[in-house]
Amino acid sequence: MIPTVAPAPADADQAGSTTAAGAPVPGAGKAVLARFSKHRLFASPGAVAGLVWLAALVIASLTAPLWLPFKTEDQDFTAVLSGPTAAHWLGTDELGRDILSRIFAAAAGTLGTSMITVIVGVGLGTILAMAAAGAGERTEAAISRITEVMMSLPGTVIILAVIGAVGTNIPMVMAILGILMSAGIYRVILGQAKSLQSQLYVDAAKVDGVGPLGISVRHVLPGLANTIVVQAALIFAVGMLIQAGLAFIGFGPPIPQPSWGGMIQGASQHVYDAPWMMVPTGAVLALTVLSANAIGNALGKAPNTAAPHLPSAAARRQRAKAVAAIASAAPAAVTQDGAAKGTLSVRNLSVGVDSTGAGSGVRLVTDVSFDVEQGTVLGLVGESGCGKTMTALSLLGLLPSGVSVTGGQILWNGRNLAATTDKAMETVRGRDIALISQEPMRALDPMFTVGYQLTATIRRLRGMGKAEAREEARNLLEKVGIVDAARILKTYPHQISGGMAQRVAIALALAGQPKLLVADEPTTALDVTVQAEILSLLRALVTDTGMSVVMVTHDLGVVADICDQVAVMYAGQVVENGRTDSILDNPRHPYTLALLAADPHANHANDMPERLATIQGQVPQPKDWPTGCRFAARCQFAGSACLEPVPLLSSGAGTGVVRCVKADQLAVEGMDWLATDVPAARAFEITPTQNPRTLQTIVEKDLA
Amino acid sequence: MALFVAKRLLMALATVLVVAVLAFLLVHAMPGSPGAVSLGAGASQDAISQLNQQLGWNDPLFTQFFRWLGDAVQGNLGNSLIDGRSVSADLASRLPVTASLAAGATILSAILGIALGVTAAVRGGLLDQAIGGFVGLLVALPAFWVGIIFVYLFAVQSSIFPATGYVPFEVSPQDWAMSLALPVITLAVGGAAFIARQTRASMLEALQQEHIRTLRATATPTWKILYVHALRYASLPIVAGIALQFIGLFGGSVIAEQLFAMPGLGQAVQSSVSTHDAPAVQGVVVIATVVVVAVNLVLELATKFLDPKLRAS
Repeated sequence: MIPTVAPAPADADQAGSTTAAGAPVPGAGKAVLARFSKHRLFASPGAVAGLVWLAALVIASLTAPLWLPFKTEDQDFTAVLSGPTAAHWLGTDELGRDILSRIFAAAAGTLGTSMITVIVGVGLGTILAMAAAGAGERTEAAISRITEVMMSLPGTVIILAVIGAVGTNIPMVMAILGILMSAGIYRVILGQAKSLQSQLYVDAAKVDGVGPLGISVRHVLPGLANTIVVQAALIFAVGMLIQAGLAFIGFGPPIPQPSWGGMIQGASQHVYDAPWMMVPTGAVLALTVLSANAIGNALGKAPNTAAPHLPSAAARRQRAKAVAAIASAAPAAVTQDGAAKGTLSVRNLSVGVDSTGAGSGVRLVTDVSFDVEQGTVLGLVGESGCGKTMTALSLLGLLPSGVSVTGGQILWNGRNLAATTDKAMETVRGRDIALISQEPMRALDPMFTVGYQLTATIRRLRGMGKAEAREEARNLLEKVGIVDAARILKTYPHQISGGMAQRVAIALALAGQPKLLVADEPTTALDVTVQAEILSLLRALVTDTGMSVVMVTHDLGVVADICDQVAVMYAGQVVENGRTDSILDNPRHPYTLALLAADPHANHANDMPERLATIQGQVPQPKDWPTGCRFAARCQFAGSACLEPVPLLSSGAGTGVVRCVKADQLAVEGMDWLATDVPAARAFEITPTQNPRTLQTIVEKDLA
Repeated sequence: MALFVAKRLLMALATVLVVAVLAFLLVHAMPGSPGAVSLGAGASQDAISQLNQQLGWNDPLFTQFFRWLGDAVQGNLGNSLIDGRSVSADLASRLPVTASLAAGATILSAILGIALGVTAAVRGGLLDQAIGGFVGLLVALPAFWVGIIFVYLFAVQSSIFPATGYVPFEVSPQDWAMSLALPVITLAVGGAAFIARQTRASMLEALQQEHIRTLRATATPTWKILYVHALRYASLPIVAGIALQFIGLFGGSVIAEQLFAMPGLGQAVQSSVSTHDAPAVQGVVVIATVVVVAVNLVLELATKFLDPKLRAS
C-alpha cells in the first residue's frame, strides 16, 4: 500500500533544470502578479481545477459547523441507507447519518494529518539530500545506503506494527509514514542538490567563507524549491490514500468520528443492499487525490524535453503530410533530367519549425543551394547556430521532431529526397547516403555489442547471411584501421575509446557501401591526434571508394585538409560557396574573411597579427533574422546597402558565389578584418530587427 | 559481478536484521505484557507475572532478542499469545496466499503498464494524451474503493467471480485462479498505472538517445528500433520500477486481503496488531521483510544483468 513514491521520471527530468526556480523575481506588485498568472501551474486546467477543489474543500470543512445540514452523529432512522434525497443530498449510511455532512466534517482531519506526512517526509528527505550533497562522498554513500534499505522495506507492514505499539495515534503514525517516505524523496532531490552544490557560484561562496549550512540554506535550497513543492503535492496525495486505507482496515479515528476510509469500509459492508453508499466518499477521496496529483504534475512538467530521434507515430503522420506538400509543390518531372550518377544538388532548401508547438514557423535554413560531385568533399562551415547540421540531417530525412523541410529540393541522382516519404527514405539511408555524427560514443547503441550492430546492419543493407556478414564486419573494421577487429567485435561501446568508437561508427556508416557520406563534425569530440587520424582515414576512403562527403565543421583546418568545395553558412544562409583553395586564399565575404582572421592556424607565423581577430556579438536567433544582410550587425564593413536583401552573386572565381553587396568593393580595396578595438562593436549595438537609429549609424558610416 | 552479488546479499541480510531489531523493539513497546494479553482481561496479577516469567519477558532485552533470533534462524517464530498456535506454521500457510496475490498483481501490472506506456510513447498525439489522462485517474483511485466497485460489478451484478474467499491451488487450480481474479485486478489498477508512467518516460528517454538516429540512418525498420533497441534501453528503469511496485503491492495486499476476506499475511498483521499478539506481529514483520527483500534482490540483479556496463565489470 505504501506506494513507491516512484518519482515519475518526468518529474526527475525537471530536477535538471534548476535555473528557472533559482532566478530571483524582478520587480514587484503588478509584475509579480503577471508573472504569477503566467506560472506553469495556471497553464494546466487540471491543476487550476485541483487548486479550486482543494481550497473549496478546506474552506468548506473548516466552516462545516456553520453550514452543515446535519451533525455528524445525527441518526435519521426514517432514512437508513437512502440514496440522494432532498433532505440528504448524498444519501445516508446504515445508521441514517448524513453522508455529505460526514464527508465534509472528516475532510479537515484527513487533509491536516496528511500534511504531517508531507512536512516530515519532504522535510527530512530534503535535509538528508542537502546534507549528502554538501558533506562529501562518504556521507552521501552512507545516507544513500540507509535510504536504499528504507525503500526496500514493506512499509505498510511496518506501519501496522507501529500502530500495534503506539495505538491508532494518527498524527504519530502519519509522521512515521513520512519518515519511511523520506527515502524516496531523498532520491529525487539528491541529484538536483548535487548539481546545485557544484555550481560555480557555490564554489565562489565557499571561497568567500560561507559555511556549509549557509550554502545549503542560501544557495541550494532556493534552487530546490520547485522540486520540493512538486514532491509535497505528490506525497500529500499518497498520505491521504494511505490514511484512508488504514481507516479502511480499522485503524482510523475512534469509532463515531467520521473518516473517509472508515466510511468506505462501512459502505463495503452494504455493497449488496446499498451500493450507492460507496460512491460519494470514494469520489471525494479520488477527486482530492487527483487534485493534488494534478498540481504536482503541472509544476513538475519538464519545460522542454529533447525531441525524440524517432518521432512518434502521430508526429510521423504529420511529417508525411509536409512531405506530400513539398512533393506537390515541386513536380518530379522537372527534376529527372540531366542527373548524373552520384551527384547531390541541393536547390533553395528551406528548413523550418513545424506550425504546431513552440516557435512555430521559424525558419532555420533558408534558400540553401550547393552541389556535390561524385568523389568530392564539400565542407559546410560556420559558427554554431548557422543551420549546418540541419542542412546535413535534411539530406537523410533525419531532421529532429518538429522540424521539417519547408521548401526547395534535395536532388540525389535526380530524385527529390525532400519529397520522399520516410518509408521510401529507408531505401536511401545507409545504402546511398550514410551518416556519421559528432559524438561516436552516443552514436552507438550501448546495449549491444559492436559485432551485433555491425552484422545486423550489414545483413539488412547487403542481404548477406550471418557468417558472411560476420566476415564482412571484420573486413570493415580492418578497413577503418582497427587492428584487433576480432576483439572489438565482441566489445560493448563503453569498453572502447572515443577514437575507436568513431572508427566503428564509420565502419557502420560504410556497411551499406554508400555513395555519399554525411559527416556532422566527425572530429570535434576527439583528441587532436585522433582527429588527424580520422581525417586521413576519411580522405583515404574517398580516394579508395569514390564516394562523396558532405562534411559539417567549424574548423577551417579540417576544410583546408580535406574539402574540395566549401559552402560558408551564416544564419541559415550560404554566404559564400566555391572551391576550397580560392575561398581560403581569396575570401570574398566579410564573414569568411573574419573566420579566417580569427583562426590561429590559418595565419602564418610570420604575418601573425599581434592580436587574433574576433567577431563581435553572436549569431542572431532564427526568429531575429533581418530581411537584409544577416551578417550586417556584426560586419565591420556594413553600409546602408546591406539593409536590403542580398542575392547570391558570382564571386568571379569559377562557379563561386558570394552573398555580399560590397564584395567587389572590398576586393578592390583589399580590406582586412581588423583585430583590435573593432568599431563595429560599439557602432552597431543593434539587434537585427532594424530601427531608425541603426539605419542612421550605418548611413553615417557610409558617408565617412 | 560476483563481488556485486555478494555485496547485495550482505545488504539484504543487514536489512532483515535491522527490521528484526526494529520489530522486536516495537513489540516491546506495545501496551500490555504478553502474560496479560495471553490470559485475557479476567486474569489475576499473579498469574500474569508467572506467565511473563515463564515466557522470559523479564530477562534483559539482549537475551530475549538473541533467544528469539536463535529460534527464528531454526524456523521457530514462537507461539501465538492468543491461541497458542505456532507462528511459523500459521505464516507458512498464509504466505502462499499473499505471494499469489502480490505476484499476480505485479505480473498483471507489468503487462498492462508496459503495454500502455509503450503505446503512449510510440503513438504520441491524442492517444498519448488519452492514455496519460486515464493513467492519471487510475493512480488517484484508492485501491479499496476500486475493489468494492469490482465486487459490485463482477460479483454482485454479475456473478462472474466470487466476491470473497480464497481456494488453495492444491484444492482446485481453477477455483484458485477465480478466487484471485478480483483482488489481483484490484491491486493491479494502481500498479499498472505507475508502471505505465515509468515505461512511457523511459521509452521517450530511450528515443531521445542519439543512437536511435544512427539506427535510422542505417535503415533499421521502425518496429525494430522501437521494440528491440529502444525497449531494450528502457528495460533497465522499467524493471527497477516493477521491483518498487512489488514492494508496494505486497503491502497493498493487506487491504485486498481484508476486503476480499483472504487468509494471507496481511490479514495476520491486521488481526495480530489489533489483539497485541506480540510474537505474531514480530514474525509477520520479519517474514514480510524477508520476502520483499529477496524478491527485490532478484529483480535488482536482473536489472544489473540487463546492463552491459555492469555485467562486463
